[in-house]
Amino acid sequence: MHKEQTWKATWSPDRQPIPGSPKKDVQKDGPVPKRPDSGKGPDRLMDRMRKVDPNQSERYRQRTGE
Amino acid sequence: MKAIMGLETEYGALLTGEMQGMRDLFRQEEMFQKVRDHLFFSQRMGVIDQHQRAYDEPPGNGGFLLNGGRLYIDMGHVEYATPECHDLLDLVRADRAGDALLQCAVDEMGLSNEISFIKNNIDHQTLATFGSHENYLVARDFPFTERGMEPLVAFLVTRQIFTGSGRIGAAYVNDSLIAIDSEQPPVTFQISQRADYIVNKFYQWVQMNRSIVNTRDEPLADPVQYRRMHLLLGDSNMSEFATALKFGTTKIVMDLVSEGLAPSVGVMDPVRTCRGLSHDMSMTWKLQDAEGKILTAVEVQWQFLEAASRAYSGTGEDVDWVLREWEALLVDLGKKDPALVSDRLDWAAKYLMIDRFRKEEKLEWTDPWLESLDLEYHNIDPAKGLFLILEEEGRHRRLVPPSALGSGRECPPAMTRAEGRSIAVRKLLEKPGLSYIIQWFGVQVNQSDVLYMLDPLKTYRSEVEEYFRGIEEV
Repeated sequence: MHKEQTWKATWSPDRQPIPGSPKKDVQKDGPVPKRPDSGKGPDRLMDRMRKVDPNQSERYRQRTGE
Repeated sequence: MKAIMGLETEYGALLTGEMQGMRDLFRQEEMFQKVRDHLFFSQRMGVIDQHQRAYDEPPGNGGFLLNGGRLYIDMGHVEYATPECHDLLDLVRADRAGDALLQCAVDEMGLSNEISFIKNNIDHQTLATFGSHENYLVARDFPFTERGMEPLVAFLVTRQIFTGSGRIGAAYVNDSLIAIDSEQPPVTFQISQRADYIVNKFYQWVQMNRSIVNTRDEPLADPVQYRRMHLLLGDSNMSEFATALKFGTTKIVMDLVSEGLAPSVGVMDPVRTCRGLSHDMSMTWKLQDAEGKILTAVEVQWQFLEAASRAYSGTGEDVDWVLREWEALLVDLGKKDPALVSDRLDWAAKYLMIDRFRKEEKLEWTDPWLESLDLEYHNIDPAKGLFLILEEEGRHRRLVPPSALGSGRECPPAMTRAEGRSIAVRKLLEKPGLSYIIQWFGVQVNQSDVLYMLDPLKTYRSEVEEYFRGIEEV
């Protein structure tokens, strides 16, 4: 009963997918990724981390937003 | 999942070169204007506002985009608001479209050596914070009372164990409304960026005294039918998985609350609990419920998951995906090992990469280099961002393949009024010279009658087409 109420509350008659909707191209369940430490070969992540300016957070001063 | 959801992101900006004090503020503002003007006038990705939207939003400050979303400059930030999204994949795609729009503009103008956009919520030098704002459409009769939302507060305070983006250090907000714990041990890393800045349970302001549930009543839709739940406490997620699960679980819990099916659980002193959970890197995450009983955040989340499974299992593809992944995540979080969830959660991915770097380089947790790495995790430039390497190398779960992400810049989400708005933007781009006002809830061209689009669940495609036919005839 609750499920039906939820459906009715949000259903609108003109809700039809538009042709070519990109949702058809996508799949939520992709292959299970590797763990962070399982990469082989050059470690691009560590290399990139070493290139980060150690003092760069000093330059990052933002205004308070919302 | 039959929902309308949207996400607003205020991007931080990292300028390169020598610091120039106040001059940097002007430089930053100039960059923002260049990026905005490139997108609206060179790339024609949307139509710039012709009218004064608010006292701080003059004509030309921003505008609506072909995808139905909105880009503008607000309080020293470039802000991107996704269009209304009907399901989780659309939401992830629309969120990533904001990153892609900004980065393309930077690349096309050759500015990548001068500015990086950082999709985070804090800086480490000041107490500045800026938002990731979630929006959920609910019925007007949603139990919007302190008592009615007690379970929602319990959920929101504890969901950060999977929605947090992680950060180095802590911020002790100088706010007279809260007491500051001076006896606490120093925080080197915590799971949430925003937790330290949440100082109220309920409040209506958005820039000060931020609350767990924002009470501003601005539905941007038919106010008789709808309320827009506006949440400020979440972090900007780089992880598509974390973004989708954050919205999916929160929408489901709002449905449970709305239908009186939520577990009757409350949290004692939710503001302090929010902060305490974020600071607890042991992953124990203990709290007191409203009666003083000791629980863990994982146990509270299990209560919501079990209620949601009873009520909604089998009701839709998105719902089932959320229930399945929520459960798997809670099982893994219960094992108290960040490595088990670093393929799905930002805070765990960031923590592990920084901890490994710290050990290899023999750095203390207080070394400022780690703050810089914290920022670079959120850099949206694929040539610089640390998170984006994880995703590129398949170490972090994607939900939307890169080939499908590009369409999000121009294509609106299906089955919401963003479709109608997108048609209106396209037609205005095709016919320069028209005067117009576009709002989230309607369009007006050449000072003719306003076409109201008060139901976010309608596409308004035919209405917009007909409206513009009428304009052409006149």
